[in-house]
Amino acid sequence: MAGPLAPERTPDTTTDEHADVDRPWVTIVWNDPVNLMTYVTFVLQELFGYDEPTATTLMLQVHEEGKAIVSSGPRERMEHDTSRLHAYGLWASYQRDS
Amino acid sequence: MKPFRAKGAELVARLEPAEAGIVGLLLDQLEQLLDADADDVGGDPVIARLLPDGHRSDPELAADYRELTESSLRAGKADDLATVRASLPRGGGEVRLDVEQAGAWLRTSNDLRLALGTRLDITEDSEPPEEIVDETDQQLAVYYWLTALQGSLVDALVAGRAGRR
Repeated sequence: MAGPLAPERTPDTTTDEHADVDRPWVTIVWNDPVNLMTYVTFVLQELFGYDEPTATTLMLQVHEEGKAIVSSGPRERMEHDTSRLHAYGLWASYQRDS
Repeated sequence: MKPFRAKGAELVARLEPAEAGIVGLLLDQLEQLLDADADDVGGDPVIARLLPDGHRSDPELAADYRELTESSLRAGKADDLATVRASLPRGGGEVRLDVEQAGAWLRTSNDLRLALGTRLDITEDSEPPEEIVDETDQQLAVYYWLTALQGSLVDALVAGRAGRR
């Protein structure tokens, strides 16, 4: 585990995703019992610039279906989006789109 | 507590002395946990919830993500904690925040709720205690008090944002 003084590093991009560039990566928010519905909607608007109806739809999808894709794109950007969601305590992860 | 509400560009609430004292104690505990040696708290479910894996099925990607983001995530939490501590009236009284400070309160109060919620095994069916007979009831009461505080801050920020348009 990296300590607080570990240097910032750019991600290693030499893994196999170049063989498969058509399938984008996605950032997923998972349901959890603590985060308030109003808070999740607020954070999605703040971080991604979604309008209120879009953010509410995504929040409800998280709540009712257990998860929702909130952004998609290159791996580095999904890592970044995941870390921004983690900074707000949302339960997020990224993966290749299935 | 007088919950948060938007007042012009600011977010204002009022805390009772006991409430401000509890928030202060919780901030100290959160700081201790985040500052603790990874060897001591590595398996702690609260740490796992506050600093989660970025990738769920690939340990190598999860390790990459941690190396890339954990130090800045920790630094952000420490900054937020310091902001909340500086704007908390220790003996109780008015809390008056600009939008940036409100962001720190939002994230830190959420971390406190995540920490307490994890310790208390909160589920979507959990409810506030009807009476307080033991320490778990007390912690549950604090959890639901924090929920009300944070909820009012979210609502006030949403109302303030609508007002600024």
